[in-house]
Amino acid sequence: MAYQRRSFLKLMGVGGAFTLLPVGLARAATTPNPEDRAVYISASAGDDGDYYVSAFNASGKILFEQTLPGRGHDIGLRPNHVDVAAVERRPGLYGLILDRHTGDVRAKLHCPEDRRFYGHAIYSNDGRYLYITENDFDHARGVVSVWDAKDGYRRVAEFDSFGTGPHELHLMPDGEHLVIANGGLHTHPDQDGRTPLNISSMEPNLSIIDRSNGKLVHQAALKHDWHKLSIRHLDVSANGTIAAGFQYQGDLTDQVPLVGIWQPGSDIRPLEAPDTVQYRMRQYCGSVRFDASGQVFGISCPRGGLVTFWDAQTNDFLTHIAAPDGCGLAATDRAGEFVGTSGLGNGWRMDAIRRKRVELPDDSLKSQHWDNHLRRIIT
Amino acid sequence: MFCKPSWRTLLLSTTTVLAVGVISPDARADIPDENYQPVLAHLLGTVMPPKLDDFHAATENLTSEFKDFCSDPDKSGLEGTQAAFHAAMDIWQEIQPWHMGPLVANGRDQHIEYWPDKHGTAARQFRKLMFDKPAAYTDPEKLSGASAALQGFPALEEVLFADDHGDQMVAADEDGVFLCQYGTAIATNLGTLSGELQAEWPEFATAVENAGPDSMDYPTAKFAATDLYRALHEGLLIISSQKLARPLGDGAEDASAGRAESPISERSLRNIEHNLIGLFAIYDGTWGDVGEEGKGLAALIDNSLLDRSFKLNWQTVGDTVAELPPSVAEVLEQPNGYTVLTDLKGQIDFLTTLVENDVGGNTQLGGGFNALDGD
Repeated sequence: MAYQRRSFLKLMGVGGAFTLLPVGLARAATTPNPEDRAVYISASAGDDGDYYVSAFNASGKILFEQTLPGRGHDIGLRPNHVDVAAVERRPGLYGLILDRHTGDVRAKLHCPEDRRFYGHAIYSNDGRYLYITENDFDHARGVVSVWDAKDGYRRVAEFDSFGTGPHELHLMPDGEHLVIANGGLHTHPDQDGRTPLNISSMEPNLSIIDRSNGKLVHQAALKHDWHKLSIRHLDVSANGTIAAGFQYQGDLTDQVPLVGIWQPGSDIRPLEAPDTVQYRMRQYCGSVRFDASGQVFGISCPRGGLVTFWDAQTNDFLTHIAAPDGCGLAATDRAGEFVGTSGLGNGWRMDAIRRKRVELPDDSLKSQHWDNHLRRIIT
Repeated sequence: MFCKPSWRTLLLSTTTVLAVGVISPDARADIPDENYQPVLAHLLGTVMPPKLDDFHAATENLTSEFKDFCSDPDKSGLEGTQAAFHAAMDIWQEIQPWHMGPLVANGRDQHIEYWPDKHGTAARQFRKLMFDKPAAYTDPEKLSGASAALQGFPALEEVLFADDHGDQMVAADEDGVFLCQYGTAIATNLGTLSGELQAEWPEFATAVENAGPDSMDYPTAKFAATDLYRALHEGLLIISSQKLARPLGDGAEDASAGRAESPISERSLRNIEHNLIGLFAIYDGTWGDVGEEGKGLAALIDNSLLDRSFKLNWQTVGDTVAELPPSVAEVLEQPNGYTVLTDLKGQIDFLTTLVENDVGGNTQLGGGFNALDGD
């Protein structure tokens, strides 16, 4: 493993002493640069069943908190616009469109009676359409709803997700296709909306659809022995590589991969960390994020309290950094660097290349339990 | 033995009576991080090392017994080797649930004991091995690179206890000679693995004990202690969901002792008895004659009533297992055997609930906001 890291450092041109590093890399995972004007935004919770969308700056100072009617999950960012979309955690009924600078509510989305939101949303590159994963629970069918942002967020279409229990979705680099993680789990609001009802027969997959007409373009699944690996979260690099994190619905003692990499048109390639890390991942990945270079991706494992980092070119495991109850991950503008958040209220800068973790200095961050996903807004 | 008062009555009554006055964990202030450090030091630095020494000594003794037996095979030598197997397996079953660090590095736990074996890999590979009898499998070094299913306790169980292998070894016929050489290689390999475990543990324990903000593995002592809490919690879950639920199946008609752990050496419940000893050490800080009472996770619980309640409940379950025959097969042969095992599973599940609520809550080591999310 040390060899893999050394090889990676060499590839990244980070083989020598720190003083010889390019300025941008040498600054990685140090105290935040005061000029870093990025804003990070996430769903969060207080101590009393109170839920928010909150934003903080690069030092961890909270900029606003907007109360939500229920627990949020991920935030969709409308390109070149103030809108962000906060969709309720599954089985969700509401979606709120907020002003990214103030948190003010700009629009409300209501889920149809026979659907439930599943926590993730993504905008088209032109910002016109918002896509949300939903559960058509009476038919155990996943759908992607389409909302027209220029028409008051009117629900204008609905596509099949080509699987059950769709969760995270992303735009592909061409901007014309959506990749959807169909987790495979059927749930029903009559049975709390979260308890899996089909573990023995679940069939997760990754599907790519044409966002203009909903047609299936590519689909891939893991081998049947691994059908209990719920494919839940993903991210897409600029070259179209898809990294995915799994959540295992089988036994604690089963030895299964928890990470996959997919080049559409081929099979999903399962990846495993060294045994001591793989075991600490506790059969559960919480979020997936590529770094700014697209060469590294991070996968958080909140049950094990660590974030794993992987080389997207060689598919090798790079390293891991402990992050108690850490889940939210956002890439900074520096190669190999991420900001992570935790349910305990921590925020860190994490450098996958040098294996460093620096706590964000502003304590206001600690007033919240940071939820699963974190987004970076460039201001 | 099977007509005792309901375990529910016993467990629930102690819990109900002793829980009066228990302070809600939510009402407590955060436990300072420095309070977790002595627990780590005690369990990882004081309690575990002598047990790893014991395990290594037991596997060395097993190797020695095997060699002696095979040099001049007779019934008494076979029995001595089988006893050495049980002694080594007893201490392994106590260590097994401490699933962390060098125990899981390089797949070591699976090399020591390939289990659960859901697809019957060990038995299938063993049959093929006996057909081919490859010489490489009698060389401990080469064996260490072979399939995990063929190099640890389950393989040794096949050699020592399955079919007429014992008689073949005593007779020293062609199969018996191979079994003797292969069994000695497995025992030697187990000695190597236990020696590696013994050697690597101190560095791991030091890294955990030195938890702090500069550590990329353990940024706080509390975070490090969650691994111990998880070992305790998951150890019970594995007993229930794997070691008992698998042989119990979907109902009495579906029950099968063959799906239990160590079915050939007929010690599946003896394994659980020893699992509970190793797991209790995490809570209490004592493990046989090693350690000190109250210096495990219990040191973090500022409530003597709750501590007494937990220990009494654990004792009740431990006594139940100790009074049962050593194998699931023997219990299932009894008219009410399925009910007895179902009740035992219920007791383990109840202990799991106590660990989640009382230990997890009061030590503040239970799951976090995101860890419990499931999304």
